[in-house]
Amino acid sequence: MRLRAQVKKEVVKVPLSVDERWDLIENISKQTVEFGAYKHTLKDAIAELTVKPLTGIPVAIAVIYGFWSFFCDFAGTLFTDGFMVKIFDEHWLPWLQSVFPGGLRNSFYALMVDAGHLEEGILVASDNCFEAFGVLTSGLFIVFGVVLWAILAFYLIFAILEDIGYLPRLAVLVDTVLHKIGLHGYAIVPTFLSLGCNVPGVTATRPLETRKQRFMMMTLLAIFVPCGAQIGIMQDLVPELMGWIFLTLAIGYLGFGFILNKIVPGKSPELIMDVPPYQMPTLRNIGRKLWIRTSGFLLVAVPFVLLGCLIVGLMYLTGAMDWLAAVFGPLLMVWFGVPSETVAPLIAGFLRKDLAVGVLGGLMAQGIMTTFQVFTSVILLCIYFPCLATFALMIKEENWKELLGSLASLVAMVFVYGGLIHLVGIILGVA
Amino acid sequence: MKILLMGHPNVGKSVFFNRLTGAKVFESNYPGTTVDFMKGWMRLEGEDVELIDVPGAFSLEPKDRAEEVAVKMLAENRDSVVVCVLDASKVERGLYLALEIIERGYPVVVALNMWDIAEDKNIRIDVEKLERILGVPVVPTTAISGEGFKELVSKIKEAAPVKIEGVIESASAVSAAASAGKEGGGESAAVS
Repeated sequence: MRLRAQVKKEVVKVPLSVDERWDLIENISKQTVEFGAYKHTLKDAIAELTVKPLTGIPVAIAVIYGFWSFFCDFAGTLFTDGFMVKIFDEHWLPWLQSVFPGGLRNSFYALMVDAGHLEEGILVASDNCFEAFGVLTSGLFIVFGVVLWAILAFYLIFAILEDIGYLPRLAVLVDTVLHKIGLHGYAIVPTFLSLGCNVPGVTATRPLETRKQRFMMMTLLAIFVPCGAQIGIMQDLVPELMGWIFLTLAIGYLGFGFILNKIVPGKSPELIMDVPPYQMPTLRNIGRKLWIRTSGFLLVAVPFVLLGCLIVGLMYLTGAMDWLAAVFGPLLMVWFGVPSETVAPLIAGFLRKDLAVGVLGGLMAQGIMTTFQVFTSVILLCIYFPCLATFALMIKEENWKELLGSLASLVAMVFVYGGLIHLVGIILGVA
Repeated sequence: MKILLMGHPNVGKSVFFNRLTGAKVFESNYPGTTVDFMKGWMRLEGEDVELIDVPGAFSLEPKDRAEEVAVKMLAENRDSVVVCVLDASKVERGLYLALEIIERGYPVVVALNMWDIAEDKNIRIDVEKLERILGVPVVPTTAISGEGFKELVSKIKEAAPVKIEGVIESASAVSAAASAGKEGGGESAAVS
């Protein structure tokens, strides 16, 4: 807003009117540009196949399915399950447990290595890195054991799709659907980017024309689009629930978008977007993007996850977590149908979502949650607050009115949608 | 002196920027990759010159946040040479922005990028004639493979502000000569 005001103040005198300029251009191009007979190339044929609904929708489904399969197989099965779980659970954790000074019941040991857990009233050592919840065990496992590989896999495929030029085609395909909720097909670009990390996703809302569209897009992203780190760790923890999780989030995204479009004042004009020609991606650019994005991830994730781990650990040790659980427990149990212990992942989620799901993993390992409670908790973790980094960016990008609007939507959404999920669970008899 | 890279969204400005500065900027094949400006340094005849990758803009009457940034960058850097990157297969559209920048009195070099795609589409552009009419250097480039960059860099120092009246005059003069003698046209330039 401030920027726009500055630009307007400075009135630039230009000699030509819009029409005069177009006349001149016509005169110039008439003399210098010659259009030969247009040859239909293979590139054009492929381009058409991916945009026409009849063939384009199956292609889109195939692309997304391929994306997801690669993500699961490469990151989940090959790296995390194949190597990292073994390295961390069978070597790193037992080794630390044997050499780290202190031992169970020692506070520093509990914070750094293993807090242990109660089994029939007796405190026993953990046997996996989700349960241990020390900075050096769970903290490092979340970042290097799980999320790093998910991020690598996601950005590799994403960079290829970006450079080929597939995203604008996908935008054309989903344009009609997204127009129903007041957004443009272009919204697919910020949405996809957010599936990697919400921060660049929010930045990518800038080409949207009106404040209304930007506000809606940012709010929807912050609430309903989980980031790559979060998806990676969810996929590791609850692979069998992923379909339901995505379905629930997609329904929320579209449904809430529809409501927002009705109540937010302003216009949602057409945004005319170029569909660029397909291009062969270059190894150089893919490699560079992968490097920038992955190193950017590590730079933020490592300190934040480790710090978060420490904070959560301290809150358990000092009894602050139990106090919070006692205060918020009734609300969590009655309204959302999740146990009061869920307060711990929710606290961690303010910092980072991957950490939050990790904390949830620790609770699951203790066997205190039903599958439906896990499902509800995972959804709550997605929608209740954007992570700190995203929130900081939203403060920068939105004016205070919009920010309040986003926060109000967020609170309303958490209670309505969270409650609704609980209600559906009750009706289906699973909650 | 500074150099501003300007042009429509997705004409390859970021690829230019990376080629010229060796910096690391995202290149993606969809419009709107650069929504904020990026700065870098390039060597120009033994000097270090600042190069700014301006977000894509269709015109200087801003319609979105990225275009606002573009207009602001232009206004704040009065002493720059503008390298205006055009999509060679959509010259008319790109010329609109190029003319707007020329009208504001900036020295301009026009890069006709995606020259390979224009060739694929069988579009022929008379580069010499375009150069004569506009009065500013015009260079065909294919940024992805790096063709035309040497020439582009060598032309940056030649760039000087031109009067729009002169452009209008030469456009109609060449057009009159063409209709009188029917000589102009014909020859088309290739990438050097």
